[in-house]
Amino acid sequence: MAETMAANQIAASQARSSRRMRKLLERTLGYTAATMIGFFFIFPVIWMFFTAFKSDQDVFRFPPTLLPHAVQYVDVAGERLPLYTVSPPDGEPRKLAMVKVSEGQGTYVNPDDPSEVFQTRARYAEPVLTVQFQWHNFVDAMNRGARPGLKVNFWTYFKNSSIIAFFTIIGTLFSCSLAAYGFARIHWPGRDVVFILVLSTMMLPFQVTMIPLFLFFTETLHWGNTFLPIIVPSFFANAFDIFLLRQFFRGIPEEMLDAARADGASEFRVFWSIVLPLSKPVLATIAIFTFLWAWNDFLGPLLYLNSPEKFTLALGLQDYQGQRNVAWNQLMAASVVFTMPVMIAFFFAQRTFIEGIKLTGSKG
Amino acid sequence: MTASQASAPRKRTPRKNRRWTKRSRRNLVTGLLFITPWIIGFLAFTFYPMVSSLYTSFTIYHVRAPSEWVGLANYQEMLADRRFWKALYNTFYMVIFAVPLMLFGSFLCAVLLNLKLKGQSFYRLVYFLPSIIPLVASTILWVWLFNTNNGLINVALGHLGIDGPSWLTDPQWSKPALIIMGLWGMGSTIIIYLSGLQDVPASLLEAAELDGASWWQRLWHVTIPMVSPITLFNLILGVIAMFQYFTQAYIFAGAQSSTAASGGRVLGAPLDSTLFYSVYLYHKAFINLKFGYASAMAWVLFIIIMICTIVLLRFSERWTYYGEEA
Repeated sequence: MAETMAANQIAASQARSSRRMRKLLERTLGYTAATMIGFFFIFPVIWMFFTAFKSDQDVFRFPPTLLPHAVQYVDVAGERLPLYTVSPPDGEPRKLAMVKVSEGQGTYVNPDDPSEVFQTRARYAEPVLTVQFQWHNFVDAMNRGARPGLKVNFWTYFKNSSIIAFFTIIGTLFSCSLAAYGFARIHWPGRDVVFILVLSTMMLPFQVTMIPLFLFFTETLHWGNTFLPIIVPSFFANAFDIFLLRQFFRGIPEEMLDAARADGASEFRVFWSIVLPLSKPVLATIAIFTFLWAWNDFLGPLLYLNSPEKFTLALGLQDYQGQRNVAWNQLMAASVVFTMPVMIAFFFAQRTFIEGIKLTGSKG
Repeated sequence: MTASQASAPRKRTPRKNRRWTKRSRRNLVTGLLFITPWIIGFLAFTFYPMVSSLYTSFTIYHVRAPSEWVGLANYQEMLADRRFWKALYNTFYMVIFAVPLMLFGSFLCAVLLNLKLKGQSFYRLVYFLPSIIPLVASTILWVWLFNTNNGLINVALGHLGIDGPSWLTDPQWSKPALIIMGLWGMGSTIIIYLSGLQDVPASLLEAAELDGASWWQRLWHVTIPMVSPITLFNLILGVIAMFQYFTQAYIFAGAQSSTAASGGRVLGAPLDSTLFYSVYLYHKAFINLKFGYASAMAWVLFIIIMICTIVLLRFSERWTYYGEEA
């Protein structure tokens, strides 16, 4: 009897420990997989960041390193000379400054004692590389821009992108909240049918309306090469944001609105001074996502903006990439600048971002 | 889910002969005033362009002369256009391979994030981060990473003893390269899946565990059916987005032309392997100025998208689960 009890206990504890083992194994596997996948996601971002700081030669150095390296320079008798590790086959390796190389023969001097001159085959010398961040890449990239002759630089593009994003946000917030209120809080005959029409426009691919819109904006209104074809449509509401706002507006208690209506407030007043202040969270979500969308948009600017002084960042970056002899370090620096506003918005409003995406996902 | 219930019409006492009371007439005016921006936008930027593009698809556009009615000629031309079929093939390649891979990948990532590991919010941040980088910037970054000689990908493969392919210049590898890049930027799908996983009732999973279901069985028989509506949603959105795939392919083609002797952007390079439907449509419309042909392509695209959506919704009834109330 006692034996079987003991055996049972052992079996139970073995089962417990094996379950604990399994849990541990699961966790370990989980961490390993999560970290490995995490590397896949984060490493290119880090790579972009560090490439932006590399020197022109370092970008094409093989094999590439993560950290930016550049040749170290030393001051020798008032001259800046590159430092080399010289290791001739018959001597100790030494760190010497290079004076000149001609016909495979290099002349080096001791940086501490410039009178000591040393000559050997240049192939015995390797440049001394140290980690150096080329901050001026950012200045160069932003100032040089894609079209040096046109006095256009990346700051121009930055300004253009900002103008477009700003007005698109204003237009979207204004028009979509008005329309959403009309669908959420006013009972008018035919409302639900019209709302289905609103939703069905989401199914329409942009390609279907693209060509007539292009002809309308450029030939009829002569808005080619202006921001208007990109900004103006946002003042006339879009289905997706109407939908999100309507969902939110419907959650506001009717009594609050009725109280105001009883005081003689007009419907617009109810909307403006009661509903909108209560809707700050969802308005913030829409503002951020509209910003993201406008900042990213490529096809719209590609269709309408054709002179470099009107380019947005997306377009300017693409234009820069399309040229021959791409300076990858500067391209990456410009990309970092392009990404920065989004990153900043994201870190300040992480919750809004995540909630906004969940909102879009849960509408299915 | 909750939203679909909310969008269902409210219960109202049914009135057969609804009279136009003073109140409802006043409400109609106010309501229409509020939605005026949308009405104007709909007429000017959706309805009119739709009608116009349908008409244009039956014409040939002339820059300095009125367009000429040609009936179905544009549609017939499409049937004989080899590049059209190539573009359609490339697009379906992406729909068939990229979309399911991306769904599977994001589901896997969401399951990992949902393991309640320490530092979960950090992992979530890391997985999400690439998706907020502007598309043009991230595509240019990947062009750099896919560089044949000293791009990060081939250098890493070299360390593993693999001779990496010429991702950008080999027509066989350009689409897989785009798919890898797509997998990297799927952060928002992961977040949508993750929130779905967090909504799976813990009681269901515990009950299954008490019944002796393994982790795998719980995943297969409880979690996956419970998130199936999200899978359907992501699938339909993914398919629609893939039919309109443009920016990434455009930037990839730019990487080709910067090395090509002729300069200028060769859309679809290398060898039309990244010539996707929307890229070809853009090319026809804004480079060849064949607005009629491009409009016809747009309508065919619209019809294909509609058919795909309907088919997916039909077939989804077998594998999606909408809870008890549905």
